Amino acid sequence: MTTVTTRRPGARRGLATPWLMLFPAIVLFVLFFAAPIVYTLVLSFQKSQVKGLGLGSGGRSTVFAGLENYVSALTDADFLASVARVGVYGLILIPTMLGLALLFALLLDSKRTRAKGFSRVTIFLPYAVPAVISSLLWGFLFLPSVSPFFDIANRFGITLPDLLSGDAVIVAIANIALWGGVGFNMVVMYTSLKAIPTDIYEAAKLDGASEVQVALRIKIPIIMPSLIMTAIFSIIATLQVFAEPVTLKPLSNSISSTFTPLMTVYRDAFTRNDVYSASATSIIIAVAIFALSFLFLRVVQRRAFGGEN
Amino acid sequence: MAATLVSARTRPSRAITVSPRERSSFFSTAVLLIGALYCLLPIVWVLFASTKDGGELFTTNTFVPSTHLWDNIVELTQYRGGLYWRWMLNTALYAGVGALLSTVVSSLAGFALAKYEFKGKATVFTVLLAGVLVPGVILAIPQYFLLAQIGLTNTYWAVLLPQIVSPYGIYLARIYTSASVPTDVIEAARTDGAGDFRIFWRIAIPMMSPALVTIFLFQFVGIWNNFMLPYIMLGNDSLYPITVGLNGLLNQGSSVPALYSLVVTGALLSIIPLVALFLVLQRFWKVDLGAGAVKA
Amino acid sequence: MRSTTRAGIAATIAITALALTGCSGSSSGSSGPVELTYWGWAPNMEKVVDSWNESHPDIHVTYVKTDAGEPAVTKFLTAIQAGNGAPDLMQAEYQKIPTLLASDAIIDISDKVADDTKSKFSDGVWSSVTLGTDGVYAIPQDSGPMMFYYREDIFDQMGLSVPTTWDEYAQVAKTVHDSDPTKYLGTFSSIDPGQFAGLTQQAGASWWSSDDGAWSVDIDSDPVKKVADYWGGLVESGVIDNKPQYTPEWNAALNDGSQIGWVSSVWAPGVLAGNAPDTAGKWRMAPLPQWDASAPATGNWGGSALAVSSQSKNVDAAVEFSTWLNTSKDAVDQLVSVSGLYPADTVESADALKTPFEFFSNQPDFYETAAEIADTVQPFTYGPNVNVAYSAFNDEFGKAAESKSAAQFAAAVEQMQKVTLADLEDSGFTTK
Repeated sequence: MTTVTTRRPGARRGLATPWLMLFPAIVLFVLFFAAPIVYTLVLSFQKSQVKGLGLGSGGRSTVFAGLENYVSALTDADFLASVARVGVYGLILIPTMLGLALLFALLLDSKRTRAKGFSRVTIFLPYAVPAVISSLLWGFLFLPSVSPFFDIANRFGITLPDLLSGDAVIVAIANIALWGGVGFNMVVMYTSLKAIPTDIYEAAKLDGASEVQVALRIKIPIIMPSLIMTAIFSIIATLQVFAEPVTLKPLSNSISSTFTPLMTVYRDAFTRNDVYSASATSIIIAVAIFALSFLFLRVVQRRAFGGEN
Repeated sequence: MAATLVSARTRPSRAITVSPRERSSFFSTAVLLIGALYCLLPIVWVLFASTKDGGELFTTNTFVPSTHLWDNIVELTQYRGGLYWRWMLNTALYAGVGALLSTVVSSLAGFALAKYEFKGKATVFTVLLAGVLVPGVILAIPQYFLLAQIGLTNTYWAVLLPQIVSPYGIYLARIYTSASVPTDVIEAARTDGAGDFRIFWRIAIPMMSPALVTIFLFQFVGIWNNFMLPYIMLGNDSLYPITVGLNGLLNQGSSVPALYSLVVTGALLSIIPLVALFLVLQRFWKVDLGAGAVKA
Repeated sequence: MRSTTRAGIAATIAITALALTGCSGSSSGSSGPVELTYWGWAPNMEKVVDSWNESHPDIHVTYVKTDAGEPAVTKFLTAIQAGNGAPDLMQAEYQKIPTLLASDAIIDISDKVADDTKSKFSDGVWSSVTLGTDGVYAIPQDSGPMMFYYREDIFDQMGLSVPTTWDEYAQVAKTVHDSDPTKYLGTFSSIDPGQFAGLTQQAGASWWSSDDGAWSVDIDSDPVKKVADYWGGLVESGVIDNKPQYTPEWNAALNDGSQIGWVSSVWAPGVLAGNAPDTAGKWRMAPLPQWDASAPATGNWGGSALAVSSQSKNVDAAVEFSTWLNTSKDAVDQLVSVSGLYPADTVESADALKTPFEFFSNQPDFYETAAEIADTVQPFTYGPNVNVAYSAFNDEFGKAAESKSAAQFAAAVEQMQKVTLADLEDSGFTTK
């Protein structure tokens, strides 16, 4: 880089300029993305060993562990269960969230819907509420004896299910994520819809196509790239689910400390003070996110754009 | 403004449509309003809850407001010498300054990637873009260790610095610049003798403003929502952002009661400025994220 | 091989980072008072520290309030591992001391502590900072002998007598729930391992022991099984609730009188006053119900000590401050009046503890009774992986409480034993 700068006067203008412009981004990227990743990799191949009672100084040492941390993570029944759980969670959350977001976006784009300004802003609002706070609010609303829903339902003689007990807790967590995420995805889709030139589907309408037909046949295919993008974002977010279950954990018997893969990372790194296992698990999760995102992109690109290219 | 735009579009088409269609408009409006109601419920709950004192929060009917909102605000303000407001300021600093710096860094990088040809460009872009897929939570632990080496943990820098670079922001800036800053305008400015950075500030930045608002908003919310990083980095509670602070009020250990009424009021007050920011900025959000994905 | 190259890369990057960001982590100058940092979470502790700073210009203490318990220890250990950023003094719950020691995070201060310090504390409390060795790893600050709290007004109303044995407790629990299904005498909380550990301590358990340089894990011992079976039976029959404590729901239950008893600790009045302020004067404290009425016993839940971190460069000053804070009349008075703690120093706190807590004005002899109970705390040894055992408790007893099956409670004990022992072995501790 320095050589480029010193050559600058003689060189064609602009050779060093892009590097100068990229400089802050690259430096920060190296420091806060690349270096931590490399560091995590290094840690993931090590482990800590103690001798004897482990009391007193010098009892602990760091040794090379090879793939041991990876093997034990991938054979840990609790970790595998948490992966399966997140799979179920994603299958509940992603279609619901994106489906509702698309529905709301299409309704916003429809000329026959009223109260659009209000609805759009209101549905988008939860995006501004941090997961820790929204989980707290929903926690109150889920707990049978303090929840207004349970109170109201009881008056009509209905008993609502306790979402914080048993397997239903996944639904409770998905609901918080849905609440926080549907508005964001809706706005992304709606912005794409607004970018479609109206004449494209006005013609179809005049030909007698219904609003639903226009949505299915014209609007949705055109905004497919946005749908793919929101889907990938949702997949990434799903695999990283952490704040919601952690905040709900003290309220429920059904959320274990290894409930999601990232909770396992947190437990290993902080409760068990074993950053080495945590690093290996982190790498596994990161690879899984990469793999799933690319796989998804491959599949949908083949389906959606296979004919065009 | 958005509403008038929409209604302007509505009128001509209503003239064309025939009456049966009017019926279904009730249905779609209702569906949308149900969605809005669902999103509003917890907010309404927190509004009511914040008017109650410690005992009432657990004993009185949810949707019966009480009169203690002001008392709660006063109590929150007095808590450990106004610590809550310190958290608010910290949050504004982390999210506001962080997002601003992030926008500048992203737009510079995005502009460079969009408008210059240079060796290694594809590699740089691919590597930066791969960063989008790296879970931020996973980075927090090694970031802590690296920052601890240079004694920066438990400082403002520890939360601010790692969140300035945003791979997605760079990506967005690049695709938006490609699409909306014409190369011949840049060339023209260059022939007039303008320097590259001057061109960037005076010509590109104004043209990129919708993308900049989007990047700012994304990063602002990203930082605001990032619980893990400040939670790990900060030990001193006067440096906490609001989320970590409120979480601490809830988890005081078994021998100290959780300060629910303060937390609820604190949650309400913390949402207000963010909502205001959103209401102001969302009308500027006109970037079609998907469209970029195709062009890139 | 590859790993070392990567370590090299990481180091290079770290150095670059250092060069780029400059030396912001400045150290204190050579002149001026000794600077100490103190991490803790006791309420209003900064005020007590201020009074030290006013009277001791040569040692300046900066109090940093952290989140309570687990998160604070987590951050402390992370700072230790990172080699930088840890405070000089760290508040540590008794059960965390072996863990901190096994991580090289705190140091032996036995050669700095004054000889008479030991005499201020009960033997049980002192042994939890020496771990039965010749070392001293912290100075005790507060303690948490367990006691039973109940709603006197509701007990009177329902004609109940205070249970003195666990058999009686079970009967009262049944009477309460049978006569009013919305009411419970208590709950089994799967999020409070310290409470369960204290209950087993009362029954004579000690989850770890060290002997001949090897650790044993005794979580599956008879006293633990007895306590687990007992609570499992109560939960299975439905006379005791199975929901966690400290939730909004539990708060509501304390307020509306559907939880009419709480197996807790000496610090309970503060929690009750915070969570259910309107029930002031309605609660009463009694000794825990007993397994053997002829040999009163109790356990510990909560309480902490002040340890000196291995990163401290001013150990003498740290010990001096810590000794003052926890064993001087002036400071101990403040621990009671300002921080609301129950000091571990039973000698100096005698005066300060004469006036009962306002919330318990109906029980003027609160602290006398408490002191008698505190004398019956049973010995208990914590091992170096309490964190693992505790998180196993959360997970296993969470499942058990959810299933409402006594058999599951027994299984949870076995599982905790397995997980805890396996972790010790994996980490390389000598076990037997």
